[in-house]
Amino acid sequence: MSATIGPSIAIEGLTKDYGSGRGAFDVSFSVERGEVFGFLGPNGAGKTVTMRNLMGFIRPDSGSVRIEGLDCFAQRARIQERLGHLPGEIACMDEMTGTAFLEFMARMKKLRDRTRMNELVEYFELDPARRIRKMSKGTKQKVGLVCAFMTSPDIILLDEPTSGLDPLMQSRFIELVLEEKRRGATILLSSHLFEEVERTCDRVAFIRAGKLAAVEHMDDVRKSRKRVFAVTFADAAARDRYVAAHPAATAHGTASVETTVGGDLDAFVKGLAAYEIVDLTAREQTLEELFMHLYGSESKGGSHE
Amino acid sequence: MNRTLFAKELRANLFVSAIIAAVLAMYIGTIVAMYDPKLGKSLDAMMQSMPELFAAFGMSMQATTLLEFMLNYLYGFLLTIFILVLILVMANKLMVRYLDRGAMAYLLATPNSRTRIACTMIGVMVAVLVGLCALVTALEAGFAEALFPGDLDVQALVQVNLGLLALWLAMAGLCFLSACLFSNSSAALWTGGGLCILFFLMQMVSQAGDKFEFLKNVNPLTLFDYYGLAAGDASAVGGAIALAAGAVALFAAAVAVFDRRDLSI
Repeated sequence: MSATIGPSIAIEGLTKDYGSGRGAFDVSFSVERGEVFGFLGPNGAGKTVTMRNLMGFIRPDSGSVRIEGLDCFAQRARIQERLGHLPGEIACMDEMTGTAFLEFMARMKKLRDRTRMNELVEYFELDPARRIRKMSKGTKQKVGLVCAFMTSPDIILLDEPTSGLDPLMQSRFIELVLEEKRRGATILLSSHLFEEVERTCDRVAFIRAGKLAAVEHMDDVRKSRKRVFAVTFADAAARDRYVAAHPAATAHGTASVETTVGGDLDAFVKGLAAYEIVDLTAREQTLEELFMHLYGSESKGGSHE
Repeated sequence: MNRTLFAKELRANLFVSAIIAAVLAMYIGTIVAMYDPKLGKSLDAMMQSMPELFAAFGMSMQATTLLEFMLNYLYGFLLTIFILVLILVMANKLMVRYLDRGAMAYLLATPNSRTRIACTMIGVMVAVLVGLCALVTALEAGFAEALFPGDLDVQALVQVNLGLLALWLAMAGLCFLSACLFSNSSAALWTGGGLCILFFLMQMVSQAGDKFEFLKNVNPLTLFDYYGLAAGDASAVGGAIALAAGAVALFAAAVAVFDRRDLSI
């Protein structure tokens, strides 16, 4: 296939209405060649609908969806020559063993060299000899991942790639994505987990209720992401005094507050020094909180799931 | 056609096909063995005692030759209803389940067009049915030759079985089209299957009583006139050709529908 100019994946004004607010509405973004692009949103936000359009499983109501300049619905078979895909729902051929399934898929993809496939099986410590039906969710996911990566494709679409994987395998997956990126692959991965996107992606798109809220560079997102501290005071009176002095904090339970802290960590710690503290825990802002923070005014009124 | 997929699916459907083949072999053997050129009046006597019931299953003729005897007792019901069961199992395995469980996503995540995938699935169905038809013909000729050497008009039998194959393929086309058409898996399986069963019921009713003879005229099963085919009637041959053409049209429609539709996988 001749090299095409422009982005590797280009979605313009994609609308696919499934009724009652489900689907994708006027979604536009593009993924550059060699870029890892994250597609973030809560369940049912329209991530899978967008993936189905990219795979040519469904036809857009309006708008255009193109990969390497080819129409995703009309020219789907040609696109598949260079594409790896991990479906969101792992529904392999149940009655086959993992080995038989991978061999079958390799033949369907006209893959001659099985070296990469075997490498990936070892990398994920996959035991493919058993029937897929008897495998755990994580093991099935590994089979799907091997299948998606075994042809060393130019473009890789991954729908919730780490679901079911244990933490060790999740970090192996992240390593693999970074390795594929170095090789020059264009990767689009959808997720509802911020962490896997944060560690792999150059840019990230937020989707919600079928609409694209924003496309951001990962560095900018990381900067604007704050920590949430939960502080438990010795008694309710001390808590109330703290809340009165720090309007940003919200009261929780009998003697606790929750407060979001950006760059001024020093001021926050010094502010606490005057009180007797029983417990202090910190966590990253959840995706939803971050999202509200970034686009609060527009999205608060939207349908929150 | 994709050879990898064809081989996998043919293997996956072999077991159920073998069971149906075994059942048919048993019936063919039994019916042929029951034929008695001299004293074969017992079945006729039974038939005359309850003519409506036998007529409903298409067993209404006074059989005089071995071929007529076989046509009477095998072709109206046994050689069609069991094949319908097999067709429904295959349509389910080859299309309905792939779409319902989402495993079709894997087949389409390969550089094979939807047309190619659908044609391969049709290829599996046709291969199984053609193989089974050849087997049925061989069994019939074999049993007849073993028990009553020289009694069977093999050429007429082959004519009838080519028509039978056209009927099977038309039923398969209808079931496959319905499997490609609907996203609801029960509707996908039972619209085609239900229509075939309805045609069988219509045929039974119209054969049993004169009042419902008109149903014959709106029933595609009427196109399979096995007595006419045995005799080489032009109208019967035309009916068989119409069934074959219908099969081609139904399969083509199924491929076109599958190529264009949205797949929620």
